[in-house]
Amino acid sequence: MPRLRGVAPGLALGLLVIDLMGMLVLSVVTPSFLSTYNLFVTGRDLSILLLVALAQMVVLSLGQMNLSIGSIGGLVAIIESGLMVRYGWPVPIALVAGLLLGIVCGVINGVLVDWTKINSFVLTLATSYVFAGINLGITHATPFYHIPSEISSFGQARVGPFPLMAAVTVVLTVLLAGFLYQVVLGRQLLAVGGNQLAARLSGLPVRRAVVTAHAISGFLAAVAGTLLMAQLGQGQPTIGATWVLPSFAGPIIGGAALSGGSAPVIGTVLAMVLISLIDDGLVLVNADPFWVQFLIGALILGAVVLGRTRLGDIMTFLLGARRASRQELSR
Amino acid sequence: MSAEPSALAREVRLEVSGIRKQFPGVVALDNVSLRLRAGEIHALLGENGAGKSTLIKILTGVYQPDEGEIRLDGAQVRFASPRSALAAGISVVHQERNLIPQFTVAENILLERLPTRGLQLVDHAAINRLAKPWIDMVSLEAAPTKPVSELSVAQMQLVEIAKALSLQARILLMDEPTAAITPHEVGYLFRILDDLRRRNVALVFVSHKLEEVFELCDRVTVLRDGRNASADLEVASVDQDRLVTYMIGRAEVISRLPPKPDPGEAVLEVKGLTTDPRDRGISLELRKGEVLGIYGLVGAGRSRLAKALVGEIKMTGGEVRIRGVKARIKGFREALERHRIGYVSEDRKQEGLILLHSVRSNTSITIWRRLRSFGQWIRRAAEDAAILPSLRQLDVRSHSLSQSVGTLSGGNQQKVSIAKWLAAKAEILIIDEPTVGIDIKTKAALHELIWDLAANGKSVLLISSDMPEVIRLSDRILVMRNHAIVGEMPNTHEYEEMSESIMAQLS
Repeated sequence: MPRLRGVAPGLALGLLVIDLMGMLVLSVVTPSFLSTYNLFVTGRDLSILLLVALAQMVVLSLGQMNLSIGSIGGLVAIIESGLMVRYGWPVPIALVAGLLLGIVCGVINGVLVDWTKINSFVLTLATSYVFAGINLGITHATPFYHIPSEISSFGQARVGPFPLMAAVTVVLTVLLAGFLYQVVLGRQLLAVGGNQLAARLSGLPVRRAVVTAHAISGFLAAVAGTLLMAQLGQGQPTIGATWVLPSFAGPIIGGAALSGGSAPVIGTVLAMVLISLIDDGLVLVNADPFWVQFLIGALILGAVVLGRTRLGDIMTFLLGARRASRQELSR
Repeated sequence: MSAEPSALAREVRLEVSGIRKQFPGVVALDNVSLRLRAGEIHALLGENGAGKSTLIKILTGVYQPDEGEIRLDGAQVRFASPRSALAAGISVVHQERNLIPQFTVAENILLERLPTRGLQLVDHAAINRLAKPWIDMVSLEAAPTKPVSELSVAQMQLVEIAKALSLQARILLMDEPTAAITPHEVGYLFRILDDLRRRNVALVFVSHKLEEVFELCDRVTVLRDGRNASADLEVASVDQDRLVTYMIGRAEVISRLPPKPDPGEAVLEVKGLTTDPRDRGISLELRKGEVLGIYGLVGAGRSRLAKALVGEIKMTGGEVRIRGVKARIKGFREALERHRIGYVSEDRKQEGLILLHSVRSNTSITIWRRLRSFGQWIRRAAEDAAILPSLRQLDVRSHSLSQSVGTLSGGNQQKVSIAKWLAAKAEILIIDEPTVGIDIKTKAALHELIWDLAANGKSVLLISSDMPEVIRLSDRILVMRNHAIVGEMPNTHEYEEMSESIMAQLS
């Protein structure tokens, strides 16, 4: 069954095992890993970066990419905080406006990709400069401080060690999975990603699928930007600037095919957990901060290579692929 | 190099024997042999799916044979990669051009071994100088410095031949070289090939066009369903009818299909349809419960006709009536949802299926919109309930509905690509080459399925270049040639009689 979702069961299980081992190792090596504060901070980063990764996964499932996720997130955070701080808009209205803006940015990407037939890599690279440029033009690189306290306290709120904002991410992840696997438009989107010609020849609306995927991507980027703004307590113009690598690392380690057609939600979640553990581990063991970026890059590179070439095979083998297929036969 | 065919020219240069190649679910080649002599042009004939391109891929090291041997100048060889075949002097000119359009003629010819001077800088003067003799050898009238993108198709072909020759090719395989060039250019190409023959090159000429074989070739090998229908015949010793018989086969000993009800009222009427300046207006009528066969060789315009009927290619003239009502079909979705027309593409892997996705998804793709409940949600149970009858009717064999379609055999893949239209309750099915690349047993099963569909009231437009298939399945047969219907006949299902009258329409 998971074939449809584009991920071998072995890969997801392999990632789960590695995640659990990573947690075990970290909790033994550094007792502070299990501290409430550390779990809260790590969980908050994960909540935001998972949305970033899912924003990329949706577009990858179409066989395209979105390099403007970070600048959409940044622009949305700026617009929301600007509307609230500078113009005194009520919080809910400012947030709705910001999320709509994210969708609009995504729709612009989707419509342009469909209309111009320009490769999505080039096109979204260009729009990322446009969105980031508007951000810079508005802010002159100065943050909007003093956003309403409802927002900034939401960014600090927690239930036990769990950040409250994780609830947003969990709900959106479940909704996205349901959308992609069981909702007409989601299925159409995956079909277009799997084989655009066959999808069109089966009467599917290709353009709508393309635009929808980009719109969802823009929406998720907007939510991620909003959450990061809440966490930081201010509208930082640099929000989203470092999202490119995690956005690709999650889906790719999680088993997405760059050629499209697969949307491994569970794999992406587990991969982002792994990346958060790497990130957190480096902080906890006091890695030289100037070398952290190198280490993260190298570890993610290793995870991508391992995940794509070996992990799935090894785990499928260990699990006994034959037993699995016999079960399927008897269904 | 003398101009006279010498005794040397007759020596066997390449001999393959007992070649077998199997792909998942299909035996592509079975005990195939081919013998090539220096200084001869050897025609390789066969219908679509007969195994010609598989054989060429084996000769050029793209595929490895499962069994059999290849002898080059008497010594047994194995080509592990296209590179090693090239090194042994075997080159191929493919149907699709393998040139880099932005590069010049000379750069393309010397692509793998661009001359350099000092510091690995490309020596442009040397490229043009070194390429010139090969350009002259194929009498290409283009400067070495001209970008390939500015050449005609026929000239590009000459560049490929020049490139092959410059690689010291002693064996040159030409895959349908005349498919896309004008008759005038064909004459020119033939003079070049004749010249190469006199230079003692061994040539393989793949074509569908029999007249070209008689004009150009010395010997001929015919493949049918992955086997030798004939091997190494002298062209002078056969006539066109014999070759046709070899290519399309005698009526195989197959069961007669059971009787089915007579076709009912017309469901699809086409009058004077054109899509292209070459079209001369196509008219046909398909009735309820009928299998209407359209026979024609590749390039006759059959697939264009099919795609025009489902709105994929724009009609430039003529009229289509569906169930008596004039229709203007704008695309697949409208064809299916308003007119209940389904199109089973000839190319199931590229156009019919999403190989990575499950049998379930590939079958229900046409009905997702119909299945939604609570807004947009598709319930798994409803989905399975909607597709299982079609999958059962067509006897699709898979472990489960979740198995990915790419792992099914060719026959089962084809059944899935028909099942999706049945699930969508299509009443008119346009089925383009349903059994290409499918082995004979599964082929017979697919034929029975298509027949059953018609017996149960579906109307089938069967497009095929497989004559036994058309004669076995159709109620009526239309013969298509050069973008026009050149004949219409009721089918008696008597193979000899029907094949003769079809051939009469074609010549």
